[in-house]
Amino acid sequence: MTNTLLKLEQINTYIDQFHILQNVNFEVKSGEVTVLLGRNGAGKTTTLRSIMGLNSALSGQIVYKDEDITKLPAYKIAKKGIGYVPEDQGIFYDLTVGENMRVGMRQEDEATKDRMEWVLELFPDLKKFWKKPGGQLSGGQKQMLSIARSYVNDNDLLLIDEPSKGLAPVIVEKVIESIEKMKEKTTVVLVEQNFYMASRLGDSFFILDDGMTVHQGDMKELRENEELKRKYLGIA
Amino acid sequence: MDLFINLAINGIATGMLIFLIACGLTLIFGLMDVLNFAHGGIFAWGAFVGVWGYSVTQNFLISIVLAVIAGLLIGLITEYLIIRPVYGNHIQQILITLGFMLVLSEFIKVVFGPNILAAQKPPFLQDYWLVGDVTIIKYRAFTIVVGFIIFVAIMAVLKYTKIGLIVRAGVMDKEMIQALGVNIRLVFIGVFMVGSALAALGGALFAPSSGVAYAEMGMEFGIFAFIVVIIGGMGSVPGSLIAALLVGLSNVFMAYYVPSLAMAVTMILMFLVLIFRPEGLFKVSGVSNK
Amino acid sequence: MIKTLQKSTWVYLFTGLMLVLLPFFKDERWFLFLMIQIFVFGIFAMSYDLLLGYTGIVSFGHAMFFGVGAYSVAITLDRFEPSFMSLLLGIVIAMAVGGLIAFIAGILTLRLKSHYYAMLTLALANLFLVLAEKWRSLTKGNDGFTFQIPELPGGLEDHRNMVIYLFCLVSMVVIFFGLKRLTESPLGKILVAIRENEQRVVSLGYKIMPYKVIISVISGVVASFAGVLYAISIRFVDTSVFAIDMTLDALLMTIIGGVGTLVGPIIGAGIIEFAHHYLSELSDVHWIFERWIILFGILYILVVIFFPSGIVGTINHKLATRKQRKKEDEQSDKLAS
Repeated sequence: MTNTLLKLEQINTYIDQFHILQNVNFEVKSGEVTVLLGRNGAGKTTTLRSIMGLNSALSGQIVYKDEDITKLPAYKIAKKGIGYVPEDQGIFYDLTVGENMRVGMRQEDEATKDRMEWVLELFPDLKKFWKKPGGQLSGGQKQMLSIARSYVNDNDLLLIDEPSKGLAPVIVEKVIESIEKMKEKTTVVLVEQNFYMASRLGDSFFILDDGMTVHQGDMKELRENEELKRKYLGIA
Repeated sequence: MDLFINLAINGIATGMLIFLIACGLTLIFGLMDVLNFAHGGIFAWGAFVGVWGYSVTQNFLISIVLAVIAGLLIGLITEYLIIRPVYGNHIQQILITLGFMLVLSEFIKVVFGPNILAAQKPPFLQDYWLVGDVTIIKYRAFTIVVGFIIFVAIMAVLKYTKIGLIVRAGVMDKEMIQALGVNIRLVFIGVFMVGSALAALGGALFAPSSGVAYAEMGMEFGIFAFIVVIIGGMGSVPGSLIAALLVGLSNVFMAYYVPSLAMAVTMILMFLVLIFRPEGLFKVSGVSNK
Repeated sequence: MIKTLQKSTWVYLFTGLMLVLLPFFKDERWFLFLMIQIFVFGIFAMSYDLLLGYTGIVSFGHAMFFGVGAYSVAITLDRFEPSFMSLLLGIVIAMAVGGLIAFIAGILTLRLKSHYYAMLTLALANLFLVLAEKWRSLTKGNDGFTFQIPELPGGLEDHRNMVIYLFCLVSMVVIFFGLKRLTESPLGKILVAIRENEQRVVSLGYKIMPYKVIISVISGVVASFAGVLYAISIRFVDTSVFAIDMTLDALLMTIIGGVGTLVGPIIGAGIIEFAHHYLSELSDVHWIFERWIILFGILYILVVIFFPSGIVGTINHKLATRKQRKKEDEQSDKLAS
């Protein structure tokens, strides 16, 4: 119990009149990368948004570090040390790369500056485009910026939504490497369709289908379970 | 030439006053997606508080400060009582803020009496300078300087300070900025108060330049400000400056050469923008006009 | 459903009949005049409600249709001899011009967010105001002008106010039922759907622009007609018909009476006109009554926040829930026995 960082219990979330999440349960252990898998429209993004407080759950409980955060507003949840990399990357287009990073900093202290340096070593490209508006970056650069922005804070949990989407394999590799490095420092919940990426990074997994958690286990188990993969992920 | 320069200065001074109302409006719209039709009412309040403050204290600076404080307070009240219940509903926003505009205007008559107040310029701004053949009215020069300082200050805050970046980011993506740990509600209130204070400042500067303060000026200049915001592009501060100067200059020149068309020219500018470039001269990404 | 509709229709017709008989009992000039104002503004406010309540369009320049109507008929009657032909011509011009302006404003801004329409109409109304002030040869500027209306045949001329009263009343009733038909027609249903969820209507394959423009035109035509009646009833016209206050009156009436109901605006018109009349008289008692618009402004704000459907909408809602509850009670009674 002690190493459970985040726990979702019987989460129900509506968007307008649509019942998107139906009694979702799952648990994230400290220091692990937990992968959320499932088809398009299964409710993966909504799950992250519910944790983040962007689509608050109507019923159920989200417990983070033994504290109920279900009904908290998004900014309070972020301040508790949760970083969010949304599916659309959430880059502020008119702000430069540097300004995007600065807006993302919750504090501007020494520790943050140190982390900033570390992040820039991880993504040297960002330094090169420091003064370029976020809207003019390529898809891969946007993704890196979004991830970098979440690394700059002292987060204990990162929620990353489909970082490989639409990216070239070389860049996917880079993103994987960065998450591998970040894994040493924080816990990660990763939504991913790309099974290669999921299986390289994941320690454990949950499969969502039609807004319900239908399967969970160790990543190792999933790698060998061909039937499960075929049934829920459409991978032969 | 003499005349031309004089008209130009007059036009720029008028434009700067309009800019002071419009920039608050454009920021409030860009960040909060709120159309505040009561904004002009705050302008009128600024004018009356300024005139009253000057008549009581005989100190121009104090009267301006009083007007700005009044603007901050009315802004806070407006946000809290009027805007908060109707976030996200454009039609209700338009309706309710227009109603509040009526109440603000009528309340001026209750507090300051139903009559037009005469406004004085402070002694040190009453005369003019003679530069060659050109006479420059001090108060107009003063207005231009103040407007320009405010513009530079707003741009600097938006560009270089953290809070400015947050405001700009919030205009583009409200959700993400919250997910980064920013309480956007507090930022909203702050922007709303500052925007209102700028409108009040505009009113306090306007009254001495025209010599009068009257309750209906709120509606009149509120409309001007809206037109400026539409021409300049909703949410864009430089856009509202350019548009305000454009409107100010065209009005002054038209009023001199073709007086009957002075009002019409502003409207025609807006028509052209609406037909050919509905997003305004300066488009801000993330702010849609659909 | 049909039964209740019929019931309400009977209520409306009965009320209309009572109003027809009213002037035979109380025919003081000021009272007839007040009632005529209510009918005129009732029509004006209904045309406003058609936009706001049924389509979700906010117009801040509705006064321009009203003013165009008033000036069209006034100028025609002034320029030509005051015959019924000129009157008819004036009405036709009024409605045609009103419709045309609404059409132009509609195609320019209805594709954009709601406030663009509000702003454009506001600006247009302002242009008309300036035009009326400056085009002195036609409008006589700020002073306005009086004009003759056609003489009525026979003994009716002695009861001219009564005739105008009845004419305005009949117009209001006819327009009311006409608009009611319109809003209950398939077109009306689409409009309400647009107001509720524009995206969904679009995704169902409807082009919404034509519908919005059509309703904008109908509303403009009806508002122009209200302006015509206004000018005829006071036989005078000046630039105040283009003033923003006219639009604000229509807005107050519609909101306080109840948006999206058609009866609401008429009731709103009654309340505002009566309040205008009596509260202004009370200003000797307390100064606040002279500033009665404050009271209405505050009332209006409260209505927008707490009763967004106005007086009639709220009552309808209450009735509906009560009926529903009654039904449920009956059912549970049945189940119990």
